[in-house]
Amino acid sequence: MSFGSFLQFLIDTLSLGSLYALMALGMVIVYGILRLVNFAYGEYIMVAGYTLFLLSQSPVPWLIMALLSVLAAVGASYLTERVAFRPVREQTVTAMLITSFAVSTLYQNAALLFISPRAKLVPLPDIFSKSIVFAGLVVPLRNILAIIVTFALLGFFALLLKRTIIGIALRAAADKFTMTRMLGIPANLVIGAAFAIHGLLAGVVALFWFGRIGSVTPGIGLAPLLVAFIATVIGGMRSLLGAVVGGYVLALINVAFNNLLTQNFLEYRDAFTFSLVILILLLRPEGLVRAR
Amino acid sequence: MLALDNIHVNYGAIVALRGVSLNVRENELVALIGANGAGKSTALSTIAGVLKPAGGTIIFQGESIAGLAPEKIIRRGIAMIPETREIFSGLTVMENLLLGGYIRKDTVEFKRDLERMIDLFPILGERLNQAADTLSGGEQQQLAIARALMSHPKLLMLDEPSLGLAPTLVNHVFKLVARLHAEGMTILLVEQNVNQTLKICDRVYLLKMGQVAAQGLPENLREHVDVESVYLGDRIDAQ
Amino acid sequence: MKDKPASTATRSHIITLLILLLPLIIIAAVTKLIGNVLFERVVITLFINLILVLGLQAFMGNSGILSFAHIGFMGIGAYASVLFSMAPQMKKLALPDLPLWLGHLQLPFLPSILIGAIIAALIAAVVSFPLMRLSDASAVITSFALLVVIHTILVHWKTVTNGPQTLFGVDRYTHLETSMCWAFIFIALAYWFKESSIGLQLRASRDEREAASTIGVNIILVRWQGFILSAFMAGLGGGLWAHFITSFSPKAFWLKETFVILSMLVIGGPNSVSGAVVGALLVTGAFEGLRGLENQINIAQILPVQLIGLTEIVLSLTMIVILIKRPLGIMGGREFR
Ligand SMILES: Nc1ncnc2c1ncn2[C@@H]1O[C@H](COP(=O)(O)OP(=O)(O)OP(=O)(O)O)[C@@H](O)[C@H]1O
Ligand SMILES: [Mg+2]
Repeated sequence: MSFGSFLQFLIDTLSLGSLYALMALGMVIVYGILRLVNFAYGEYIMVAGYTLFLLSQSPVPWLIMALLSVLAAVGASYLTERVAFRPVREQTVTAMLITSFAVSTLYQNAALLFISPRAKLVPLPDIFSKSIVFAGLVVPLRNILAIIVTFALLGFFALLLKRTIIGIALRAAADKFTMTRMLGIPANLVIGAAFAIHGLLAGVVALFWFGRIGSVTPGIGLAPLLVAFIATVIGGMRSLLGAVVGGYVLALINVAFNNLLTQNFLEYRDAFTFSLVILILLLRPEGLVRAR
Repeated sequence: MLALDNIHVNYGAIVALRGVSLNVRENELVALIGANGAGKSTALSTIAGVLKPAGGTIIFQGESIAGLAPEKIIRRGIAMIPETREIFSGLTVMENLLLGGYIRKDTVEFKRDLERMIDLFPILGERLNQAADTLSGGEQQQLAIARALMSHPKLLMLDEPSLGLAPTLVNHVFKLVARLHAEGMTILLVEQNVNQTLKICDRVYLLKMGQVAAQGLPENLREHVDVESVYLGDRIDAQ
Repeated sequence: MKDKPASTATRSHIITLLILLLPLIIIAAVTKLIGNVLFERVVITLFINLILVLGLQAFMGNSGILSFAHIGFMGIGAYASVLFSMAPQMKKLALPDLPLWLGHLQLPFLPSILIGAIIAALIAAVVSFPLMRLSDASAVITSFALLVVIHTILVHWKTVTNGPQTLFGVDRYTHLETSMCWAFIFIALAYWFKESSIGLQLRASRDEREAASTIGVNIILVRWQGFILSAFMAGLGGGLWAHFITSFSPKAFWLKETFVILSMLVIGGPNSVSGAVVGALLVTGAFEGLRGLENQINIAQILPVQLIGLTEIVLSLTMIVILIKRPLGIMGGREFR
């Protein structure tokens, strides 16, 4: 492998992996506390996408649009928690899982009914379509941007989780939720914060996800949801750091598959990766990466 | 200070407590003993708000607390150290203690409390920035106790604090409990280590299959126990 | 002495089954009398839905574990049965790349759908055994992963499924009587399973996990048996559906269908056969009614835009409200008596 193609491989993996890592992190932050894999997670990306679309006619600068759409994802996530998950929290995990599946269907069909089944263009800033030439490679700027934003966000969350009392409480709750309550940390505070972060990460991912595909449809959430599932399982479901690592590992696998497999096999890529998911859950329930 | 009256608790179809009544007075050290599965941990969890009683009342300082959420109960002044200790394993010792003092929210006070804990448990002072799950079992138990004390509880509940500790550490734990008691703390102690427990406590309740089978002063209960309970008798003979 | 309670128990079982069957018989009879083709289609859909819901109930209702793979097994049953029932001339057109022996083979309807169901059950038996250890979220993710795997294979295995395109040329064999008979058989089967010793152990493991394993229930084994039965029923439902709809693509066996069948079970109440029946009846009725309304409005162009998704919105909202207000569904875990 030449240096150029190695660099290409590296940038592809890092930029894709950054999105996957954020997705997985958002998934695990809720899973760790409630044991809920939220099927509606992908729909927050959709919500962010439609917010961008709806704002596309307005004169506000793109950065404001982006901010508002991330906020919309946070709002959707928080609202779902208040309205749907909180009332079933005391029931079985299965009840919560079914609820999240119903919520996912609700969001998708609301988009179908109130917006459109057809794909809608999402406004993107010019910088997303620019590329830089570097060591003989043409690298889209948005890929570099995704890496930078992700690293900044991960750094921010690392600080938040290490240095603030609510961050420490979140980590503790992900480990032993009942015990945090016994120390006086309100369940609703911790869970509310977790869902806000959950939505925030989905919103940020949305910006770059739509940066890649350019348009939003009601069913857009499924692909990122699947990604979050796999990355979370690779990372071990319970560890925040593991989730991030799982995201990058999944991207590595995908980029490698894309480069190595022939078209015939590539068609079955989902079948391979999901068989892998089943195997990992069976053989190493704590995930491939043992980290905390 | 604390009074349970006719408390019933079920796990689904399994009945764990069937009409337990007990009380703890201010500054008392009350012990709760009984065989495995008698319902001791269930009783503590119910007081702490982790389990909801199916019937009965719990009065703490004149107010009913039955069915309150755990985060409300600790604010009333009841702290519990669970049987499994529930140390936050990804967090450092310091962070564990910080969360222990969560309801107090006063940094000056936190510093003072932290110093007191280091005074009580010097080993924790040496390990403040170490991940809590790298502590030994004995150290983890000390951390669990220290974390509970950080909230300045009026009533401290300990669930088998000597479980799984080496004999010297067991002695250490009992000394510590006795010391806290001597300093005026009200304590509800669950223990299997009957001999040592009876030495330090003011009153005892013996739990059997979810009911109070006997209660009274340690010396009275010791006689009762010798005749009544093979299990406890064994324990006492063995020591 | 033991005889008496047993016979009253048997009588109460028979009463329950009669109460469940009677409305279905009436519906079928009325359908025959009216003789409206569209209405008949709705009623056949009802019976097939009922079969699928009963299949899901057999596993999920008794074990308490949410399985996403169910509709995948429906898909396997659908495609597998068609491979056996389709006429060789038709196969040449629709699936030209089939291996010769299969291309030339044609079996009657009944053995075809039975083989389809057995293939679904066999695949379930092989892949699911190790999965039965898992509960809650891990169980859901693995069953979801299984659905994705099955779906991906159906979409890409062009030789036997015609890939993502519609598979056409399936003969219509499933009529009102056929679907009704199978619905009856499966009501009895699901009920029998629930009351059998395996079903009893499965329910014990659902309600009191620890207690069940201490009284010697082999949780993995009973779950596995439930899962295989469930896959068999889904496979047969798929076979019936394939020979009713006569042309379909893998899209039919994906999250939408999963949602519809799951909503029936959740709304009716997963823990009893009566719940499955009530859920299938109500939701199929509401679903077809709302769909009809949607179509009417769209055809008449009353609204400036196309009305799509209303049905699912109503269903998912109902489901969420039921989960919050009545977690055990309308029947609350009880059977009709
Ligand atoms: N989560 C649970 N689900 C079902 N049953 C439980 C649960 N926890 C405890 N039990 C049952 O309740 C009864 C009382 O248990 P508990 O833990 O209170 O006993 P204990 O006196 O603390 O015993 P030990 O000395 O072993 O700690 C036991 O029969 C136990 O099996
Ligand atoms: Mg105990």
